[in-house]
Amino acid sequence: MNGARAVTTKFVHAKLTGKLSLVLFGLVLVFSARAQSAPAGGGHGGGGGPMGGIGLPLNFLQADKDYKFPDDIAKYSANDFLMLVRRTDIRSSFYNSDMSATISMVSVSPVRGTFANKQQIYRRDKDDAFLMIMVEPESRKGQGMLRVDNNMWRYDPTSRKFTHTTLKDTYENSTVTNNDFRRWQRSIDYSVVSITTGTLGNYKVIIGELKANNDEVPFPYIKMYIEADRKIVLKVEEYSLSMKLLRTAYYTQYVQIGDSLIPTVQIFQDGLIPEKRSQVTYTDISTKSLPDYYFTKEYLERVSQ
Amino acid sequence: MRVIHLKLAARNVRRQPHRTLALGGAVAFSALIMTLISGFVNGMDLAVQDNVTLYSGGHVLISGSTASWSGKPQNRFTDDKVAQIAKSVGAGVLTVSPLAQSRATVVFGTREIQLVIRGVEWGKDKLYHDSLILSKGDWKGLEPSRTMLMSAQTANRFGLAAGDQVTVRLTTASGQENVTNYTVGAIYDDSAAGGMNTAFVSFGDLVADLNMKSNEQQEIAVFLKNSTGAEAVATKISSLMSFQGYTVSRGVASAPSASNQAQSASFMSSDALTAPMGGATQSQAGGARLAEGTVRYRVSTIQDLAGEIGSALGSIRWIGYAVFALMLIVSATGISNSYRMVLLERTKEIGMLRCIGYKKRDVFSSFIAEGIILAGGSALLGAIVALPVGLCVGLIPFNPHGDFGSALVKGHLLFAPTIGQLALIFVFVTIVAIAAVYFPARRAAEVVPVEALRKIA
Repeated sequence: MNGARAVTTKFVHAKLTGKLSLVLFGLVLVFSARAQSAPAGGGHGGGGGPMGGIGLPLNFLQADKDYKFPDDIAKYSANDFLMLVRRTDIRSSFYNSDMSATISMVSVSPVRGTFANKQQIYRRDKDDAFLMIMVEPESRKGQGMLRVDNNMWRYDPTSRKFTHTTLKDTYENSTVTNNDFRRWQRSIDYSVVSITTGTLGNYKVIIGELKANNDEVPFPYIKMYIEADRKIVLKVEEYSLSMKLLRTAYYTQYVQIGDSLIPTVQIFQDGLIPEKRSQVTYTDISTKSLPDYYFTKEYLERVSQ
Repeated sequence: MRVIHLKLAARNVRRQPHRTLALGGAVAFSALIMTLISGFVNGMDLAVQDNVTLYSGGHVLISGSTASWSGKPQNRFTDDKVAQIAKSVGAGVLTVSPLAQSRATVVFGTREIQLVIRGVEWGKDKLYHDSLILSKGDWKGLEPSRTMLMSAQTANRFGLAAGDQVTVRLTTASGQENVTNYTVGAIYDDSAAGGMNTAFVSFGDLVADLNMKSNEQQEIAVFLKNSTGAEAVATKISSLMSFQGYTVSRGVASAPSASNQAQSASFMSSDALTAPMGGATQSQAGGARLAEGTVRYRVSTIQDLAGEIGSALGSIRWIGYAVFALMLIVSATGISNSYRMVLLERTKEIGMLRCIGYKKRDVFSSFIAEGIILAGGSALLGAIVALPVGLCVGLIPFNPHGDFGSALVKGHLLFAPTIGQLALIFVFVTIVAIAAVYFPARRAAEVVPVEALRKIA
């Protein structure tokens, strides 16, 4: 009798333990899913919530949707211009989807000559993450760069080593910086100092002079030329602390993908050595959803082999 | 061992000059190689220490990082007490001066080069005035503000002369881009400075360029009477600072490996040595953010900074030891075999000696004495010959900008063997010779006189 009771007790215990394990497993799954769908806000400003993302101020995307811009460019105020910059930031990015594209880069330098390369980029703008893998030339195939959780690494498949890098570092000794491959967020980093109107080629533009909001933004001053009608950035001049022109970026071609307007041809000219310039061209842009493991060091290591 | 044994040994050494020459030559060659290796490695050690002092600006460096509003450490600090602590250490401290430094791009026309630019208080400087040889311009040319002291290597690459203006692009202490202009005030002979291509400007000018306050600094350089006391002084400064509540760590911080640094830093270039100190903010990969204003210090010595080069020299030294050991083994085998032959040749002689009153101990001692005279004399000869050979090799010019540039003195290898090293080589060779002769000597001592005489007869 006692033996039967003991067996029954053991059976009940085993059943309860099994159920408890299932409940715990379920909870783990739910929390994992939550953690993946809503990453914690980083930087200053928090983020999160619907349409939120890493490093974005609260209501960043919502405020843009409701904003009414003046009809006449002469009536633009500093705040209007800042909201215009925010509009260009949002429309050049993909907050509702992932993005992948092929990047062709041609750099010209009076000392190093001309060199070209091709990369594949995978971007997840809501998390401010991207993965870039060199496709051409063959000698550098597999070299990669990963930005995730405000950290950034370069990967060299030959040495199989990751080295830490930063957004302000130049890419492949060109006039392009790592920051140029990331989502735009000038409206977060800068405040408007003054605005004027003018023309750039055949386009009527609003020219805004902006100052960095803090001393950790690489370029303390920038001047933006934005075409008000299409609300796209045509030219950006970046200045040093001593107000010397360091670089001019030209965004000469745009492609509309969904709600986004992507500058597919970008030219970066050095301010100190004007003969030094680079052209970055985006092709094969796709907004197909990307697996989470794309934005991991393990994947970069694996895909670079 | 008595004089008679030595006399007999000396006579035996002279008796068969060909064998003595062959054996002694092998031993002398081993001693020569070892003297050369130890002399050059020692010279490289000294050169590295002198050059690292030049690259780093002092024998002991106190670097400080202050957390910004965002929690990122910025290479800057203001506390004057730190300099006072360094001065208070006393023993051997000659000067304590502030340093600022930045990795910058220097542009002239359409050409550009990445350089380390160091801010020096020319009024207080002793190190560079004493160590650098100016090939163009003079020290007075560096007195006006916004003047630069540039290496001949950089100047030649750009085709620059004193009076030319260059544009300097650098990153401020907080990480912002800045551009300024400098006039080349003078050019120094970098081949006389271990291939260093650091450019020097006034401390005040660089502090302004780095957007730092006039009372801020990035490092404090402590210059000592000689480098040997650096470790002791650094330990004392660290413990004094810790005692006063500062957060201090010792040694060189692990390199941040930012792309530009990783690309430009070769393991023996001056860039590699100066890489840990950068003007710009280094993001904390995966690290916790610090509270605003938190200051962390790091005390390092030239021995820490020369770590990579030191380990490379250590490898060279170990290769030298291995070569020496191999040579000794070969020599010992040769000596041992030769003395076995000698034993056969001299069996009759040994028998005669035993018959006229030589004891076993005397036979044994005379063999050992012969080994000592042969090996000791050869080692001495090898070491003596090594001195002019080493000095001649020291005359060969090497590329000061190559991988071993930091281990050269004015583009030449320094041959600096010490008396201790020479004595050690002598002792080692002699011990090995005694060990090699030991067994033949014992067998010689065991020879039975009557049998020996009968056998030969």
